Amino acid sequence: MTIPSTTSSQTPTTSGPVPASAGNPHPMNRIWNAARLNFINKWTVYWIPLMILGFIWLINMAIWWIIDANVSGSDRQDAFQGTQWSGASFYVFVYLLVIGVQSMNMTFAYALGLSLTRREFYLGSSLAFGVLSVAYGGVLTLLSYVEEWTNGWGFGGHMFTSVYFGAGPVWQRLFVFTAAMLFFAFIGAVSGSIFMRWRTNGLLIAGAITMLLVLGAIALVTFTQSWPLVGEWFVASGPHGVVAWTLIPTALAAIAGYFILSRATPKG
Amino acid sequence: MTSSSPSSTASSAVVSVHGLTKRFGKVTAVDNASFEIQPNTITGLLGRNGAGKTTIMQVLTGQDFATSGDVRVFGEHPTENARVLSRISFIKESQRYPDDFQPKHVFQSAPWFFENWDADFAAQLVEEFRLPVNRRIKKLSRGQLSAVGVIVGLASRAPLTFFDEPYLGLDAVARQLFYDRLLADFAEHPRTVVLSTHLIDEVSQLLEHVLVIDQGTLIIDEPAETLRGSATTVVGTRTAVDAFVAGRDVLHRDGIGGLASVTVGRLDADERREAAQAGLELSPVSLQQLIVRKTNLTEKEFETQS
Amino acid sequence: MIDEGKPIFLQIAEQIENDIIAGSIAEESQVPSTNEFAAFYRINPATAGKGVNRLVDDGILYKKRGIGMFVAEGARARLVDARRTRFRDEFIRPLIAEAAKLGIDPDQLTEMISTEGVSA
Repeated sequence: MTIPSTTSSQTPTTSGPVPASAGNPHPMNRIWNAARLNFINKWTVYWIPLMILGFIWLINMAIWWIIDANVSGSDRQDAFQGTQWSGASFYVFVYLLVIGVQSMNMTFAYALGLSLTRREFYLGSSLAFGVLSVAYGGVLTLLSYVEEWTNGWGFGGHMFTSVYFGAGPVWQRLFVFTAAMLFFAFIGAVSGSIFMRWRTNGLLIAGAITMLLVLGAIALVTFTQSWPLVGEWFVASGPHGVVAWTLIPTALAAIAGYFILSRATPKG
Repeated sequence: MTSSSPSSTASSAVVSVHGLTKRFGKVTAVDNASFEIQPNTITGLLGRNGAGKTTIMQVLTGQDFATSGDVRVFGEHPTENARVLSRISFIKESQRYPDDFQPKHVFQSAPWFFENWDADFAAQLVEEFRLPVNRRIKKLSRGQLSAVGVIVGLASRAPLTFFDEPYLGLDAVARQLFYDRLLADFAEHPRTVVLSTHLIDEVSQLLEHVLVIDQGTLIIDEPAETLRGSATTVVGTRTAVDAFVAGRDVLHRDGIGGLASVTVGRLDADERREAAQAGLELSPVSLQQLIVRKTNLTEKEFETQS
Repeated sequence: MIDEGKPIFLQIAEQIENDIIAGSIAEESQVPSTNEFAAFYRINPATAGKGVNRLVDDGILYKKRGIGMFVAEGARARLVDARRTRFRDEFIRPLIAEAAKLGIDPDQLTEMISTEGVSA
């Protein structure tokens, strides 16, 4: 057996040992790249939420058209006043919740597979949630103005100017949308972290504790007969005031998510 | 531990592990393992399924936490250490990807984290493995899924690369392709590679060093060339075989009728001549057979002890 | 191609020796690189290197810096010489010993060899 003499054909231009001292990670780069992991699929980040929004908008338009065609006079005005209470755009916020959960669940396992630290991944993903919340919030703000300029899409309907969001100045609208998005993203993130760390049992226990806290709060308000006070507070605070308070649970969820994930291990 | 640690930090080993134990509840997955991995070698981390191979690699790459023991990679603790982890590529059979990912998303994002990433090499491998890059990863076959990992592991050219059962579902042709590309690229760009597999015969020639773990315990830590020929099977009539192996360490014994086949340790030239004169046939024991014998042995020992 | 029981680096060294003896690698010509040997036999490059280095130590091959590995002048003759010595040790001596055991005297042995040679 003779070995073919192919020595000349091989030109080791780029050969050489892999530099073992290559470990020179730029922390900010790695965190930013961890954020980018959450954006890599354009469909997930741009097109699907837009499609959800578009679909809800079409349904609303259909409903408004039906109302417009069948109801008249003062009933008609009442009906369109009623669309202010539409919770249609709620689904867009739920989408952020899903993104938060998926990120901690799937992207986390992938990020560790690419040798990121948990810290880099979590900081990067939080950055991604922030960017997404501002971007989606900006889109909703813009749409709320379009809704006004077109007089409720020609029907006087309300989707982006419902009472939950208010119709304040631009910074207020942007703040309400963005803060609400952040809230859902980090509730999703902390849920996803709990699942990564303690699996289904962890989620069940965390859910039970949350239920108990909410029930306790309701009981407290009920037994102290404070519901009118609560109502007054909501009215007095306005949408942006109420949403500003959500920043506290958002921050708590973000911090808890970090510590929970910092000892989690992705399992196959 | 205190007396040995100064020397261990001074050593040139890429990985050095002292007394590593990992328990999951009551189950001890890794039991007091100590070993080193030298730079620019291909090391085989071998053993049966569930022996603790994956757990060791999970700990070395900071994906899981040691219960006790000292683990150093590039001289530092790997856990949450970006300086260490940025030099590691860990390809594992159970790797999960985001639900909405396609292979192209992997090859797009992996270069962000591997300084030595070779995009041309990755593209070449995609061609060679015939990987559809625009299909959802969830829809890929098991072999195609393995190819994604293999391509990342090779093209990342990380100074320390772990392959944990990297080719589940790949056919013999694709596996050979992996071995060939690994060897060629390793030769041109020397780096430290740890290969964990149960297809021991297929990889035995690629390995420079062999670690065998059985039920959480490290039972072999030897250069591959030392292991080669470290056992021989002696075949012949029962009486002749018994006379020849008397007083030797017997790794394995098999027999049918008046014939016996016994695996013993290394034989020197004189012993081989003696065996030939006794009418015995000698046959070499492959690395895979050797490991099967050794792990069986410990199993029996374990059973008789408990 | 690779024998399980024997160190691979020795087998690589022997393979190169065989090629030199058979004349398929001429003296003063270049031999494939360690990496090419590794790729061809599908073995670890360090193992291939060990085999090649053994031949360098024996003076069969020599390194030209930055170019590669070449067969030394007179390498073939030296290899044939060494193999002849080994042939005597490994084949002739046991042959004579075995013949003596069976009562075959040297003349008979020579005759047996020459008739075998004719029929072969």
